[in-house]
Amino acid sequence: MADFIQLCVNGLALGSVYALAAIGFVIVYAATGVVNFAAGQFVMLGTFAGVGMITQGALPLGLGYGAALAAMALFGVLFFVLVYLPLRKSPVVTIIIGTVAIGIVMQNAVLLSFGSWPFRLPSPLDGIMLQIGGAMITAHAVMVVAVTALLIGLIWLLFYRTALGIGMRAVAQDVEAARLMGLPVNRLLALSWVLAAMLAGIAGLLLGPMWFADVNMGDPIALKAFAATIIGGFGSLPGAIAGGLFVGLAELLGASYVSSAYKDLIAFGAMILFLLVRPQGVFGERIQDRG
Amino acid sequence: MLAAEDLVVAYGENVVLHGLSISVAAGETVALIGANGAGKTTLLRTVSGLAPVRSGEIRFDGQPLGRRAAEARVRLGIAHVPEGRRVFPGLTVAENLILGTTPWRRWGQSYAADLDRVFDLFPRLRERRGQLGWSLSGGEQQMLAIGRALMARPRMLLLDEPSLGLAPRLAEEVYERIREIAAAGLTILVVEQNTVLALAVADRGYVLENGRIVLAGAAADLRQDVRVRQAYLGR
Ligand SMILES: Nc1ncnc2c1ncn2[C@@H]1O[C@H](COP(=O)(O)OP(=O)(O)O)[C@@H](O)[C@H]1O
Ligand SMILES: [Mg+2]
Repeated sequence: MADFIQLCVNGLALGSVYALAAIGFVIVYAATGVVNFAAGQFVMLGTFAGVGMITQGALPLGLGYGAALAAMALFGVLFFVLVYLPLRKSPVVTIIIGTVAIGIVMQNAVLLSFGSWPFRLPSPLDGIMLQIGGAMITAHAVMVVAVTALLIGLIWLLFYRTALGIGMRAVAQDVEAARLMGLPVNRLLALSWVLAAMLAGIAGLLLGPMWFADVNMGDPIALKAFAATIIGGFGSLPGAIAGGLFVGLAELLGASYVSSAYKDLIAFGAMILFLLVRPQGVFGERIQDRG
Repeated sequence: MLAAEDLVVAYGENVVLHGLSISVAAGETVALIGANGAGKTTLLRTVSGLAPVRSGEIRFDGQPLGRRAAEARVRLGIAHVPEGRRVFPGLTVAENLILGTTPWRRWGQSYAADLDRVFDLFPRLRERRGQLGWSLSGGEQQMLAIGRALMARPRMLLLDEPSLGLAPRLAEEVYERIREIAAAGLTILVVEQNTVLALAVADRGYVLENGRIVLAGAAADLRQDVRVRQAYLGR
């Protein structure tokens, strides 16, 4: 029982990271129609932004987090200006291939700057354990879940309670009508990339202390976030959250109760099942209903 | 208030407006009628900045609009209710209307009075304020699209076939509201295939054929004009 509780909390923590990555992915997809295949590398970059500021830069944690997130926000702007804007008139497929290419560039840039040796990113709660129902849980895992819950609340407030967020949803639904309302379409599109980059950054900072920071960490995250959005429903925010949590839980419970060799089988099996039986996912609309 | 002079607009090689000139004075309601494909939508999209001018000029309040973006034109007071209504399907009625205030509203400024005015004009929208755009009927969507444009506090309204796809009774109801908006003093340019409805609310009218104005005059005269009656009124 204690084992089970521990696995569940750790699974939820890992799932929270996947959910954050998936939310960023969905925000960009909904706003721009771009399937961002660099989403996993965004998270990797977030972890290494933390490594650069905190592990190597020796900034105090709070300041280091702030600096890393500021760097990620800047990266979001750069991605919008240097990748999305020049490509936006091209077919969506071209943009998608562009995101794949940029993902590879990002990976190699980090490899050149940091080397292939893995780093460890500290957590503000390092060494603190909590006892829940007889299970020993790292305080960091609980913090990951709590921070993710808080962020989801903030994102909901942004999109449903502020004029800015309503404007972002409007741009995602009908760019031309949004222009007729006088909405600054380009700035709102840029903001969705910034938001995605910052969420990936937070995911990376939260994940760093759970995994080792290494340049190849982006690929499995991308696959899991992708599986999460397909299971939850492509383009759906609640779907990204539910899918992320499911994938994280399935991964840890699967590793423990089935076999660690097959730990990814449940998540990807579920993804393939959904693609075959219910391609719109749990919460999603069918993709062809879009727009 | 609005003047277009020798306006040429094209999609690639395909010239759609061939040196068209029209004007709308302040407080006037002008109808521009024409068959499907005549270029009505293109004209309105050019005025609101969604389509580029090839040559010629559009002036608003005597000021050339040049290459000003659509976002800037709505701030000048030009509100365009596009063809097919284009309400935001995943936004509620209230959210759609709130977005209309973008051109003038700064942080924290109240739009309650504007909202009340739109709800008084279209009581059905008040009842449906929490409903999503896609779930409205065609008539309700048209009212929402017009209401959303009014939230911008426009000085001029561009209406693209507000009767399109509506049952006759509903189309008449929408035009009844347009008549009220016009009576309140707003300047309106409405383009229509439904000649009867449009000429009934308008002070003046133009007839557009293949991107050229072929007839212009007082709405009352156009309603009596033999050519208009034969081509557009079917009698
Ligand atoms: N986006 C477009 N690209 C190319 N041609 C277009 C486009 N929109 C309209 N046209 C052409 O321009 C002409 C006028 O269309 P439009 O302005 O929509 O007319 P109306 O609104 O009077 O029905 C038509 O021949 C149409 O085929
Ligand atoms: Mg038209």
